[in-house]
Amino acid sequence: MRSNNTLARLLELELIVVTGKGGVGKSSVSAVLGRLLSDAGRQTLLVEVDPRENLHHLLDVPPSGGEMVEVAPRLHVQHLLPRTILDDLVREKLKVGALVKRVLASPIHQQFTEAAPGLKEAAVFGRCLRLLEGHGPRGIPTPDVIILDAPATGHGASWLGAAQLVSDVISSGPIGHMASLVANFLADADRSGVAVVTTGEEMPVQETLEFLETMVTRLNRRPEVVIANALYPELTEDPADDPDDSLLDLWAHRRAINEEELERLSQEWQGPVAHLPLLPLDPGPALVGRLARHLKTELGGGA
Amino acid sequence: MITLKHPLIIVVGAGGVGKTTLAAALALEKARSGDDTLVMTFDPSLRLKDTLGIGEHEDADEVEVDAGTSGRLTASLLDARRTFDRLIESYAPDEETKKRILSNRFYDHLSGSLAGMMEYMASERLFEVANSGRFDTIILDTPPTRQALDFLQAPERIVGFLDTGGPKMAAKSWFDTEGKLRATKKLGILGRNVEAFFDRMVGLELLRDMAEFFQAFAPFFDGFRERALEVQKLLRSPDTVFVLISGPGPQRVADTLFFARKLKEAGYHLGPVIVNRVHPGEVQTGMVPPGTERDGRQLLKWLGSRDAEGVNHLRDLLGTSHQLVELGLRMDEPTDIKALGELGATLLG
Repeated sequence: MRSNNTLARLLELELIVVTGKGGVGKSSVSAVLGRLLSDAGRQTLLVEVDPRENLHHLLDVPPSGGEMVEVAPRLHVQHLLPRTILDDLVREKLKVGALVKRVLASPIHQQFTEAAPGLKEAAVFGRCLRLLEGHGPRGIPTPDVIILDAPATGHGASWLGAAQLVSDVISSGPIGHMASLVANFLADADRSGVAVVTTGEEMPVQETLEFLETMVTRLNRRPEVVIANALYPELTEDPADDPDDSLLDLWAHRRAINEEELERLSQEWQGPVAHLPLLPLDPGPALVGRLARHLKTELGGGA
Repeated sequence: MITLKHPLIIVVGAGGVGKTTLAAALALEKARSGDDTLVMTFDPSLRLKDTLGIGEHEDADEVEVDAGTSGRLTASLLDARRTFDRLIESYAPDEETKKRILSNRFYDHLSGSLAGMMEYMASERLFEVANSGRFDTIILDTPPTRQALDFLQAPERIVGFLDTGGPKMAAKSWFDTEGKLRATKKLGILGRNVEAFFDRMVGLELLRDMAEFFQAFAPFFDGFRERALEVQKLLRSPDTVFVLISGPGPQRVADTLFFARKLKEAGYHLGPVIVNRVHPGEVQTGMVPPGTERDGRQLLKWLGSRDAEGVNHLRDLLGTSHQLVELGLRMDEPTDIKALGELGATLLG
């Protein structure tokens, strides 16, 4: 089903979490969404948490190691390191240099931040929330929307549930307070949403369906959209006309797999699905631009 | 194409490159050649689960696959949480420790987030079956991880974790009899400030719960270290070979080389590198991407050229030290015994 108001809906959100199985093109689709929303006038920040900084590569900006980098008008990208956010929190709350050193060096702090369930994930969302509230670096415009290129779906569900978990176990103090703000924010369908990326193949679709179920049962939320990436084009010729044409045959088979899997997806997911084509372009700004135009059409925003 | 005589074959590679399918295909061919074979897998597709028969027996540790092979073919679906539970069931020194761990409110979450614990559990299971002598060949599919070597390094990380502080401190107990944090007490006034800070940030109550969790685990730590070291020995043994699976295309080359280098640096024996799902075609220089997106034939030609370029590049960079094998993109994904058998025969033929 194509929904005409999906784009309008995405344009109202303050946070979009992009997740999906490994290898389906989560980072590409995050970049595409960033391009689309910033083109539509939204001040947009793309956030990645993977140290390989794929998003930087896709947008053709140098690796930043954590700085906020301008990509295009109204579009920035930043690599957030959960560990750094937690250390910053200690610095901010303690202020006294000697104490900060003690706490940061304390095995309790180190072990706690490593092992406390959900803390690092909640901290990333907490930082996003603060950036949205205007507590970002000086001289950089406050984002209207943050797009988070989240880890693969298996971990995606625990990312989304992390803040609630932290908020359940830490009820007071600044961390508990932050976690409960984040949990409310992630539960608020007017402010935050999820986009799930898949390809038209068995495993990614299977994982998407499992993730959809987890979202409904554990988080009581549904994604805004499922984006099916890297689809072979629709057939324009009949392979029966030329049985010796092996490329046509391969095309027909791979397209058939895409269609079968998208059909399976639609059996269980009645929400919006956007299709993105497999294009003869290497990853980079040109590919991102072309896909952004496709996505706009698919989401009901016209050509 | 390739020869694999090793009793333990470990299939590694980035997410989505087809590790599980290739592991199953290799196992099937090994069993056909007469070896009693075990394939251990983490995350098979529904169809592959059905094919191997592990779909219907979710609770069974091992399932015999009826594929008409001369050697026994056994499949095992690894569930880290179940292994973890079982480990506690079997190694807990007494009922009380067991209860303390299983009822701790962190168990559910910590068992998942404790650095590498899940992967460690899987390697522990591997050690168990490898030592049992029940199989001629064991093929291990590795779980999808963000950082490619997470799985292999888990045992070492666990040992590192055990040796550097965390659990040692846990074993010593974080709190003294007055309920004060020991780690901060010797710091005097500064220590009291640090303690007050922890209390204000997360509450000492929470730290107490976590400390209790680690303490409950303390009796396990020595066994963990011992077995983790054994697993490392096994993984580095000349009887163990790593098969590295790569996706096609130039973008994957860097990932694959990185992976290959890391494996070698870590002292593992890297065998063949398999580039999976390569689009058919040859490098065509100066080819302009087709103007129309709707022409699948042009798209496939471009993909074929791109993949060929990637494979050539990878071959140049790998040198002659490792065999590089290409597997073409198939018309359909191999999920039934027949297709898996063909794939296995192609690989080991």
